[in-house]
Amino acid sequence: MTTTEKRDEKEEVKTDDGSPKIKSRPIVQLGIFLISHSPVFSVVFSAAGVLALLLLPLLAKNTYISENALMPGSARSMLSNRDVSGGSKLVKDIKNHEGQGVEVQRLIGQHMSEMGAEIYYQKFHPEGNQFHPLRFFSGPDSDTLMGNVSCASYGVNVAGIIRAPRGDGKESIVLVTPYDFINGGDYEALSLGIASSLFSLLARVTWLSKDIIWLVADSRYGDYRPVAAWLSEYHTPSFKVSDLLKCDEINTSGSFRRAGTMAAALVLKVDGRSERFEDTLSIYAEASNGQMPNLDLINVVNYLAVHRQGFYVKVEKVVSLLSSSWLKIFGEIFEAVGKVAHTLNPNWNFGIPVADYLEASATLASSLYSQALGIPTGPHGAFRDYQVDAITLKVSPRFPPDSKARQHDFFLRGAQLLEGTIRSVNNLLEKFHQSFFLYLLTSSSKFISVGVYMIAFALLVAPLPMVAASLYIDGCNVLTKSTSNPAENLKSWKWLGAAKQVFALHLMGFIVSLLPYFICQVPGQHSPTNRSIMWVTTSASLLLITFVTIPGCSPFSSRLHGTKWAVLKSVTISAAFIGLCLMSIINFATAEIGALLLVPMCLMVRPIKPDLRSRRMKSMLRALCSMVLVTTGFPVMFFAISRGLTGKGLVGLSLGGEFWTWLESLWAWKSATYLYIGMVHLPCWLLCLCILFNPS
Amino acid sequence: MKILLLVMLLFYSFASSSGDTTIHTNNWAVLVCTSRFWFNYRHMANTLSLYRTVKRLGIPDERIILMLADDMACNARNEYPAQVFNNENHKLNLYGDNVEVDYRGYEVTVENFLRVLTGRHENAVPRSKRLLSDEGSHILLYMTGHGGDEFLKFQDAEELQSHDLADAVKQMKEKRRFKELMIMVDTCQAATLFNQLQSPGVLAIGSSLKGENSYSHHLDSDIGVSVVDRFTYYTLAFFERLNIYDNASLNSLFRSYDPRLLMSTAYYRTDLYEPHLEEVPVTNFFGSVMETIHTDSAYKAFSSRISNSKINSEDDHKEDFQNANIPNDDVKTEKQKCPYTQMRADLHEKLKKLENTDTMVNLGIAVMILVVMVSSSLL
Repeated sequence: MTTTEKRDEKEEVKTDDGSPKIKSRPIVQLGIFLISHSPVFSVVFSAAGVLALLLLPLLAKNTYISENALMPGSARSMLSNRDVSGGSKLVKDIKNHEGQGVEVQRLIGQHMSEMGAEIYYQKFHPEGNQFHPLRFFSGPDSDTLMGNVSCASYGVNVAGIIRAPRGDGKESIVLVTPYDFINGGDYEALSLGIASSLFSLLARVTWLSKDIIWLVADSRYGDYRPVAAWLSEYHTPSFKVSDLLKCDEINTSGSFRRAGTMAAALVLKVDGRSERFEDTLSIYAEASNGQMPNLDLINVVNYLAVHRQGFYVKVEKVVSLLSSSWLKIFGEIFEAVGKVAHTLNPNWNFGIPVADYLEASATLASSLYSQALGIPTGPHGAFRDYQVDAITLKVSPRFPPDSKARQHDFFLRGAQLLEGTIRSVNNLLEKFHQSFFLYLLTSSSKFISVGVYMIAFALLVAPLPMVAASLYIDGCNVLTKSTSNPAENLKSWKWLGAAKQVFALHLMGFIVSLLPYFICQVPGQHSPTNRSIMWVTTSASLLLITFVTIPGCSPFSSRLHGTKWAVLKSVTISAAFIGLCLMSIINFATAEIGALLLVPMCLMVRPIKPDLRSRRMKSMLRALCSMVLVTTGFPVMFFAISRGLTGKGLVGLSLGGEFWTWLESLWAWKSATYLYIGMVHLPCWLLCLCILFNPS
Repeated sequence: MKILLLVMLLFYSFASSSGDTTIHTNNWAVLVCTSRFWFNYRHMANTLSLYRTVKRLGIPDERIILMLADDMACNARNEYPAQVFNNENHKLNLYGDNVEVDYRGYEVTVENFLRVLTGRHENAVPRSKRLLSDEGSHILLYMTGHGGDEFLKFQDAEELQSHDLADAVKQMKEKRRFKELMIMVDTCQAATLFNQLQSPGVLAIGSSLKGENSYSHHLDSDIGVSVVDRFTYYTLAFFERLNIYDNASLNSLFRSYDPRLLMSTAYYRTDLYEPHLEEVPVTNFFGSVMETIHTDSAYKAFSSRISNSKINSEDDHKEDFQNANIPNDDVKTEKQKCPYTQMRADLHEKLKKLENTDTMVNLGIAVMILVVMVSSSLL
């Protein structure tokens, strides 16, 4: 009894006016401590965030097959030479009919039905991706066929289905080979050869539990469109008779056939000649908005390609980073630290050689970039829209396409790889679910899971709420000229004016991101450059209107005085924080890159006038820093980064046009990055600009 | 004197409860495969191999309870429809004729397993699905699947824990459902499943110790799955050398497990089992009782059957035993009749012997009148 009383006394600290005040909890105390020392902590956290991002290649784990049922490579390949020579024959036949679109389609169809498959032809329209401002995040759109269909341009997909002899017909595996029937190259035809060899094997095996669909997509109008059109018809049957059926070059009277839900899809392409001694296999996995297929699918393909068929497997990487000196310095530092740690404790083995580090970083950057862009890296993206796990396999043979002797071996190995993968997927009992969906690749056999890479982002955005709170308290104190009671300030509504401004600019950002749709509707042909100029001018005028109509919005208005900018900055930072966090859920990679640009800008920005006036070294430096950061935060920087990573220089004059095309592709693919730039990044940048030119 | 009597009584009760006095009269086998799904092919192959072995060594189908998910033979992924192999040479089809699966598919549950062991079935459950063992039974319980520390997974849906098993075995013991029980488990960390066992007469053998995995023996690259587990493979290898008349001891079976080949350490729990393993032939559990007990001509009607089948012999012997008891019981019951009824019966018999009942009644009445008169005059 006495001890509890004592403790109570301890907790009740008497304040000046005598009223008992309960001592706050440790978490609140920690919060207050962080807020009061926010400048130090914001620097520490941001630096740690960037460092964590650079450390990611070291933290990558080896991939492993997580699903027991897959058992890749446990079955012996049953591919026979007869299957392969069938494939070679098809390739030869196609070459004889080269360029005669319909004939080639018919040939492939005939070839499929000879193997015992059900075949059909599907006609589709080449125009698919039309920007619609309100259709972001909605599911894949069903193709509404326009009334006036012209027979002038349409594509024809050929699809064959092998039914599993003892399967229940509820599931299927899809194999896609894009082929341009009019001017398909020699290499493209090889992919048909591989698929045909495999198909003839699958037509006679007894172990299928899922139906196999082979789709020869008409890639005259791009790789993606025919696959998307086929998938759309597969999943949303239309009961109208399409006008395209009347365009009768090829008999498509056979109905569209289906084969259950898709367990997985593999897109096979053969292109170019391998630069290495081995045949090269490139894996592309990124679908729209940074969605990835289940890691197990990549694991299976990678395992079979490396350990069974001896392919050289690679994932895309940013080549320019391989030779970057600053990254090399980081790599050397990490290697040295790793070595020291290893000498201290032999169990610490996190150091990796510089070359590996560079390689991993370049791959990671590419992975991050492809996900951030939100544009699928191949036709597999169309499958992801229907939650089907799919990847694109690009095989580059090490021989020229006309070498008959090596072609046989190439077909054999390619078909064996696909056979192994299909047999693994065939073993599955459920959808892919065991392994990761949220990950970044640092090589074909190493990955960074969501739990690790979120740390870098969390560290990067952690200073935002701290600085916002600290700025708000400071701003309120200065405004009311009373430092006595911060609790009073927290309850006040002084942030409302600033919030109004922030909201107005966000609303403007929203309208600006809708503008391109209306610009597209403007009649007449316009070059991309013209369109981007139109967009910039309308946006600028809209900005002016906003400044004029909404009082207190303009950075030059006389109503802004004193240190009101502090409250404005606090609200801006809060808005940026909310925007970034929301974006990290939708597309992590975009949020990460956005945070790298936005966080330093938001943290550093402050009015330059007083700094310039004071003419002190420190103030000048600070002003310069703000200006530099605000410049780099300009939304076009996203585009510049994308160009830089893909290795293309910025060409001054055509920049506007290219920027327009880039944005057009973003919205055409329904990339959330577009929305992020328009609705989070642009308003925050404008607000920072307002703060920068604040006349205080 | 009293104390001596008490001691003798106690001794008697112990002797009777330990079951040592009963003779081994029959053999049962409960074979359980607790996994399903294609990639667990080997577990079904394990169980079917054991099924084949115990059948070959003499346990008849009606005394084998086989619990299988049974989704392999007709699985669409099976390259050899309706066949199951436990070796890549494909010489032996385990799923040939005469495979009687008692509990199939989703019937293989922890509940059904415990019901089989403890014999607590619903009325509708047919005899063929029941473990109708008695106090003279030797039971072989074989289980395979995916296990862990003190548990065994049943078809990815539920778990059998070690104390569930111990509890079931204890109930069996109380109900005198077995004389000796051998539990053989081929799972990861199989030894942990025996931790809670307490009942006497139980011999347990597991494929691996705590923290160890049980590995598959080899992969059949035609079928594309592993077809048998190491522990079961070497167990089968041991039994393949034996025939129905062999006298190999349990000890020789246990010694045949080589940790290097198993890649795990086989574990035996013998502390609950009294007999010396050197003296117990493996056929005590994996085979069937075959001693024919010759009886004299008392039961001529059955003599032909006895000579016909060896397996049925002990059945008959049991019946004989019971039949022999019946007359004794009758005698006992007559002796035990209460004295009052005995007197009544005697009286009745004597009355029957008297022929002139009327004179007897008249005489009686006369005597009664006389008595009344004498008594009234005295008052």
